[in-house]
Amino acid sequence: MTTILVVEDEPEIRRFLRSSLGAEGYRVVESPNARRGAIDAGTHKPDLAIVDLALPDFDGRELIRQIRQWSPMPIVVLSARHQERSKIEALDAGADDYITKPFGVGELLARVRVALRHAARSPSGTLLKLGAATVDLEKRRASRDGAEVHLTPIEFRLLACLASHLGMVVTQRQLLTEVWGPSHAAQTHYLRIYMKQLRDKLEADPVQPRYLLTETGVGYRLLADEDSP
Amino acid sequence: MKGYVWAVGATAACTLAGIAMRGRFDLVNIAMIYLLAVVIVALRYRRGPAIVTSMLCVAVFDLLFVPPQGRFTVDDVQYLLTFAIMLAVGLIISTLTESLRRQASAQARLEMQAETERMRSALLASISHDLRTPLAVMSGASSSLAERGERLSPAERQALAQSVFEQAREMSEQVSKVLQMTRLESGRLELERDWGSLGEIAGSVLRGLADRLATHRVIVELPEDLPLVRVDAGLIEQVLANLLENAARHTPPGTVVRLRAKLEGGEVVVSVEDFGPGLPEADVERLFDKFQHGVSEGSKGGVGLGLSTARAIVRLHGGRAWGEQLPGGGIAFRFALPLEEQPRLPAEAAA
Repeated sequence: MTTILVVEDEPEIRRFLRSSLGAEGYRVVESPNARRGAIDAGTHKPDLAIVDLALPDFDGRELIRQIRQWSPMPIVVLSARHQERSKIEALDAGADDYITKPFGVGELLARVRVALRHAARSPSGTLLKLGAATVDLEKRRASRDGAEVHLTPIEFRLLACLASHLGMVVTQRQLLTEVWGPSHAAQTHYLRIYMKQLRDKLEADPVQPRYLLTETGVGYRLLADEDSP
Repeated sequence: MKGYVWAVGATAACTLAGIAMRGRFDLVNIAMIYLLAVVIVALRYRRGPAIVTSMLCVAVFDLLFVPPQGRFTVDDVQYLLTFAIMLAVGLIISTLTESLRRQASAQARLEMQAETERMRSALLASISHDLRTPLAVMSGASSSLAERGERLSPAERQALAQSVFEQAREMSEQVSKVLQMTRLESGRLELERDWGSLGEIAGSVLRGLADRLATHRVIVELPEDLPLVRVDAGLIEQVLANLLENAARHTPPGTVVRLRAKLEGGEVVVSVEDFGPGLPEADVERLFDKFQHGVSEGSKGGVGLGLSTARAIVRLHGGRAWGEQLPGGGIAFRFALPLEEQPRLPAEAAA
């Protein structure tokens, strides 16, 4: 049975998470503060942790750092709106994704499923289906409506980096560091320009993309059609 | 510190004047010049510099002008009185000035409190008016579910739960607008500027607002080669969201909402145009006031902060936001952001 650790100080939010995650067949372990969360993460060995960023004893980001020291378990962060910076810090501290309060249960379960699937899957095996477009990251080939599409090496690298976190957010810093190198971590305009190029080549409507999504101020998220490996 | 420099300077100036006047004027008149220095310093600075000026003036006056010169001895009792008066005048004037200053700042504080109070009551009135409806819906629907749930059909239960969810989302939106406005007004909000793509920001807004905009036909017209802008993307996203939401909220379902952008003299101008009933030009501008609602739209919801927040954010970016009556009816809300020299991208070797 899949176990999910919920670290959240508000009892009413814990109650709602317990019942909605429980109804999906997950076993839920609840911790009311970060200290308890760190202990429960060690004793219950959950498959995934949901961590509120604003905890009463110490910061959720610190808890994420502690968990990351010994476990790669997926971590989904709960955060308030207008706090892009704390989201980014949580992601850079090792969280895999975030969800903004208030959220609906559908949104939450989708995040949880994606994060669990990501943890279970090996990162190779990379044929992306993006609507009418298909990208084979291994063979470095892309096509759209059957016709070949030329992607530059950087465009492939960018797609590969997003695909290795398929369905999850990747921060701008992570992308820039992985694709262009640590010395370019602040050159965010590279991302604006290359993401536009990729959307122009792969999306049916580049302004309203369905697959190459922007998480404004935080990073990007690549979605793919469900039957992708 | 500046006051003490003035104290020394004023004394020195009077001494020069006194030396020029010596022989032709009575000592009393020279003393008057020193008194003037004391008065000026006391008016401009606090008590400390005033006292220092009095003491300096008395000392120098005694040393240079009162016989026997070159010594701190006073032969004539009447000069002692001169000194006493000089000191007294300095103290009285500096005390008066200081209490005036205190009164002025107290007055300013009071005025600011009154303004805050006015804002607060407008906010409370707005909250009670606009947030009560969703609260009433939520408590009614949820109590039906909690107390009478078993008597309702699954479809009815579903509908009630759905309406609680929607109203709660709506309220959360409104509360976060109020918070954002408070943050903007306090001046504590710092822009996190970065190169941003308006096309990308628009895409993200349209995805986030898909449900709310579903009632309207949204047309997006953005030029292919729109330059990047140096903005706080999160805040500009909010500006766009407020304008689009506003347009959908105040125009009949099924009408067109058009999002456009164009370059105009070193600026990029973004417009959200609606094809609703429109408003007289003067009323359009009034919509940017806080807690301002259009005419008779009590039931449309929203705390009336969308446009004023949008304008405050755009101004923080050094831009402008305004509304215009459109020729065929309908309103265009536009904002202009200054363009900067575009950043460079290293050329990539062809694959």
